Amino acid sequence: MTIRLVVNGRPRDLEVAPHALLLDVLRDTLDLKGAKRSCDTQVCGACTVLVDGLAVSACTYLAVEADGRSVLTVEGLADGESLHPLQRAFVEAGAVQCGFCTSGMLLTAKAMLAENRTPTRDDVLHYLRGSLCRCTGYRKIVDAVLAAAETAR
Amino acid sequence: MLRPFTLHRPETAEEACALLAGLGEEAAAYAGGTELLLMMKLGLLRPRHLVDVKRIRGFGDIGLEPLSGRRLTIGAAVTHRAVEQSALVRARCPLVSSVARHVANVRVRNVGTVGGNLAFADPHSDLATLFLTLDASVELLSPRGRRELPLDDFVRGPWETSRASDELLGSVTLTPWASDTAAAYVKFGVHERPTLAVAAALRLDGTTGAGRNGRDRIVEARVAVGCVSLKPVRMAAAEARLTDLSIGDLDDAARAAADAAAAGVDPADDLYGSADYKREMVAVFVGRALRIAAARARGAESAARFPHTVVA
Amino acid sequence: MSARPLRVVGHPVPRVDAIEKVTGRARYVTDLTLPGMAHAKVLRSPYAHARVRRVDVTRARARPGVFAALAGADLTWCDPYYGPAYRDRPVLAIGVARYEGEPVAAVAAVDEATAEEALELIDVDYEPLAPVMTLEEALAEDAPLVHAGQPPAGHFADLSTLRPRPGTNICHQFQFARGDAAAALGGADVVVEDAYRFPPVQHVALEPHAAVAAWDETGALTLWASTQNPYSVRVELAKMFDVPLARIRVVVPHLGGGFGSKTYAKLEPLAATLARAAARPVRLAASVPEAFQTVRRCASRVAVRAGFRRDGTLVAVACDADYDVGAYADIGPRVVQKGTYTATGPYRVPHVRLEARAVYTNTTPGGAFRGFGVPQLAWALESLFDVAADRLDRDPVDLRRQNFLAHGEEFAPGDTPIDGKLEESLSRAAEAIGWTRAPAADRGRGVAAMLKASVAPSVSEAIVRLHADGSVTVLASAVEMGQGTRTVLTQIAAEVLSVPLARVTVVQPDTAVTPYDQTTSSSRSTAMTGRAVQVAAEDVRDQLLAIAAQNLGVAARELALADGALVAPARRLTYPEALALKFGMSGGELIGRGVIAPGRTAAPLGGSTPFWEMAVGAAEVSVDEETGAVRVERYVSVADVGRAINPLLLEGQDEGGVVQGLGHTLLEEMLYADGHLLNGTLLVYRVPRADDTPSELECHFVENADGSGPFGAKGAGEGSLIPVSPAVANALARLTGVRLRDLPLTPERVWRALRARSPRA
Repeated sequence: MTIRLVVNGRPRDLEVAPHALLLDVLRDTLDLKGAKRSCDTQVCGACTVLVDGLAVSACTYLAVEADGRSVLTVEGLADGESLHPLQRAFVEAGAVQCGFCTSGMLLTAKAMLAENRTPTRDDVLHYLRGSLCRCTGYRKIVDAVLAAAETAR
Repeated sequence: MLRPFTLHRPETAEEACALLAGLGEEAAAYAGGTELLLMMKLGLLRPRHLVDVKRIRGFGDIGLEPLSGRRLTIGAAVTHRAVEQSALVRARCPLVSSVARHVANVRVRNVGTVGGNLAFADPHSDLATLFLTLDASVELLSPRGRRELPLDDFVRGPWETSRASDELLGSVTLTPWASDTAAAYVKFGVHERPTLAVAAALRLDGTTGAGRNGRDRIVEARVAVGCVSLKPVRMAAAEARLTDLSIGDLDDAARAAADAAAAGVDPADDLYGSADYKREMVAVFVGRALRIAAARARGAESAARFPHTVVA
Repeated sequence: MSARPLRVVGHPVPRVDAIEKVTGRARYVTDLTLPGMAHAKVLRSPYAHARVRRVDVTRARARPGVFAALAGADLTWCDPYYGPAYRDRPVLAIGVARYEGEPVAAVAAVDEATAEEALELIDVDYEPLAPVMTLEEALAEDAPLVHAGQPPAGHFADLSTLRPRPGTNICHQFQFARGDAAAALGGADVVVEDAYRFPPVQHVALEPHAAVAAWDETGALTLWASTQNPYSVRVELAKMFDVPLARIRVVVPHLGGGFGSKTYAKLEPLAATLARAAARPVRLAASVPEAFQTVRRCASRVAVRAGFRRDGTLVAVACDADYDVGAYADIGPRVVQKGTYTATGPYRVPHVRLEARAVYTNTTPGGAFRGFGVPQLAWALESLFDVAADRLDRDPVDLRRQNFLAHGEEFAPGDTPIDGKLEESLSRAAEAIGWTRAPAADRGRGVAAMLKASVAPSVSEAIVRLHADGSVTVLASAVEMGQGTRTVLTQIAAEVLSVPLARVTVVQPDTAVTPYDQTTSSSRSTAMTGRAVQVAAEDVRDQLLAIAAQNLGVAARELALADGALVAPARRLTYPEALALKFGMSGGELIGRGVIAPGRTAAPLGGSTPFWEMAVGAAEVSVDEETGAVRVERYVSVADVGRAINPLLLEGQDEGGVVQGLGHTLLEEMLYADGHLLNGTLLVYRVPRADDTPSELECHFVENADGSGPFGAKGAGEGSLIPVSPAVANALARLTGVRLRDLPLTPERVWRALRARSPRA
């Protein structure tokens, strides 16, 4: 099936099988490796991408569903070499360790900030309930998201 | 990854039903895919045909049922997020809106649907528990026509419904509570799916005022418990104990109602807890849900927060 | 080179790989593609114990798109067994499957879908056998044996004296004694004893194991592997395929978390075997459920007896520890002996009897996991210490303080003396948690301390290259798995050579390029690899000083390094200028070398620990008595690190260690029934989430520059995790009077214990 979508601001026409998962199309066809396969069951959030601004588990989302939509991966966050405030906040706060959860965390936070520009710590925890990290203990990730929200205001 | 399948995208319910009827066991209805695709990845289901219901006219709608003008109908393809954000749902069934906010995680809410949730009949479904207190009925469509079933008749047990293989769940309809109803939904558990869930709704006699004087009478109580029996259950014995009570007396009486509820469930030992623990937790959380509802009846919001507990 | 303030060491500089990670550019093994690369899938045993009578891969092999289909019986052209302690683990099951999930056959095909379909074409005849699933079952008289014969020993010197008990499931025994514990216990005023259980738990690194293997036309092998020790993997493969070490290359890009799960060969032998059979590169990537079937922490049952004098002096400790190391020994024997070695914790104990056993069971192999046996022992001893404090009517902080080993005191003959001030960590933890102020009525506080040795003897080598433009390359094989070692090594080199951080590049570990490093584990990378880098950088520095001294006619001691130049009063020579002088042209480089290899000593484990890791944890908890749910409201971790090379990264490490510790303390347990693992997926195996983090979490560091590592550094990263479970259990006991001995402290377990204490009114 042919799908037409916009990926990180760039229009793409792709030939995909109905059973192709968005995660594999992004990683293997478009060489966008930032989204990762981890639990493969929608629990961990490592595969998170934004479709029309909404966070989805790309590991359990058919590529054909992205037809006519706009997809944002971590590669699309920065503006050229200029980091997105969330990326900058993660770097400064020390919120990155192994990095495997990072793209999912960033995109989930971005979706949250689009809906809620003044999140409380509880708001952040609610949004990140489905994003796992085994390295950081979450403290610096939550701090980074709140700091980025502050900066953006 | 997934095995290949043919994706059908009918635009009418008739088309969809014809496909399901024709393809039989080889086909599965597909909406958000949060449950279906996961089952397919795990190899537990291997449909060769997916019938996408998201383009079917009406399946994405939330509206008032024309007949009564009161009952709220949610199309099968409506996402949890859409329910959460719907002004109509918030106005007519505010607790449904709050609970939708806590289904699974944000990604599942963005994509997963009400219809998919009910049709899959996961024994831990939040909606299946909550909707039992809202006189929910589901609409089933087939080449033979349309039938409506009470939710309790639709859900038969873990992952088992009354849906025939050529039937399509088209929508669920809820009867909003009267405006003087204080309610709460509480779920408890450590894992991704909760160990138990309680929905409690107390319809108050509003003639003495909006609950602040403590003498309001509970005209009708609805208590549903999910996750601990083979399917969500209404706790008739508990409800009976609450009827005609004054809201002011509820904190004391909640214990008895809670115990009655605990006696009415049929838990089994599993990864979510031992049977005796679950039974006791039913008592604990029915009590808590009732106390939260009572506080809301008084116009207050209980500040109590419990570990591993979501309060909606 | 001493009194000058440090420029970059000790500063919270952002990690050097942060940008690539936040932009999605960082590459992990599963992000790599090679031309012609095949995809592998593994068929795994559904039985915990079964004879594998026949494996027929004919139909799978014949399927179009399949390049190789292998069973254990096909592996006649290599040595199919590997393992660091015992070479007991076959690449594919041979004749018997010893745990549910053991690889029995494997396929390499054009894509994953074809490989999966090919698995279904493989026929296996199993004859189920009675499994032993628990320590009790494995140790019972006449228990079925997981391993019928005696496997050969692996490649570690400190395990050259493996001591199995033939005819049983005990694959290693460790004993340590000092004085006369039996007599001392008999004469002690107060004796406390109890048994504590630590569950099997999984590391759940977000990146499951993965490897890409490729043989070239000359018969040399290259692997890109998610491994914490490329050199250990290399030696395993060399032995398996009878290829010289020089012709095996293991490369490690970024690692998506390790925590010990990626130490020693795991999937690499299978990837390499398939690549050879398929005659093309093969990518083998595990799923999270497969990670549960690859490695886990060694579960344990530890019985401790401790004897005290009336005045609180600890006089004797006797400990019997059984560790469940699963179906294959992996590094279990060392976990057992190293963990048990510090069973007495950070205390002075004149009379000691320690006995430990590594026991095979038919479950996922147990291996290294952050803490390496010490969490299991500390869970027991630190819990018992509070029981003793109760019996002695003493404050638990005071009782610990009284018995702590002092700075410079001997731990065991021949081993490094204690190189830190435990008392300082304890005081800071007690102060931070507010120990002397009564907690709120619904809160309880508890403390725990730990002591752990680092692996010894061990070796780390490093090379530092100063290029003609003054930029620097650091070659070292410490693996970046999130802990920040690449950044720390950058800081060390930049500090010694006085160049900006951005001018230093630490390349990825690659055994063809970066020299030998024993392992990235045991909290050793800063102290050992870092020291090697420091020495190598100093070597370059000395060469620069010699060049400058000669060319400027100045004594080396009158020169200083500053901002990429050699500086003397009124003279300045940049590094490029110095190199140009040396080589007579613009080109060439200076190469420095550092080798840190303290060698064997008379210490009980064969080598003296390069540093002692010591830390204290203090927890403040609340409990929802109606449900048993425990919440850690506040937690303080204090680690004695000598020098925090990068305080920001170190704090991140320890915050992560605390929360990971909360996992096995409150939530995590691999559950088996009827031979099957019930919860090998994240749907029903619960790891900490963001809302599990304590609302107040503080990580402090004691820095007395008293370590043997660079700038006085020691090691860190495990000390934050180890005290968590006993600190929490001690807090719970002080709050409720209930003492739990089995982890995790799930709501149901706590609820049951509370009910046993007082029936519901």
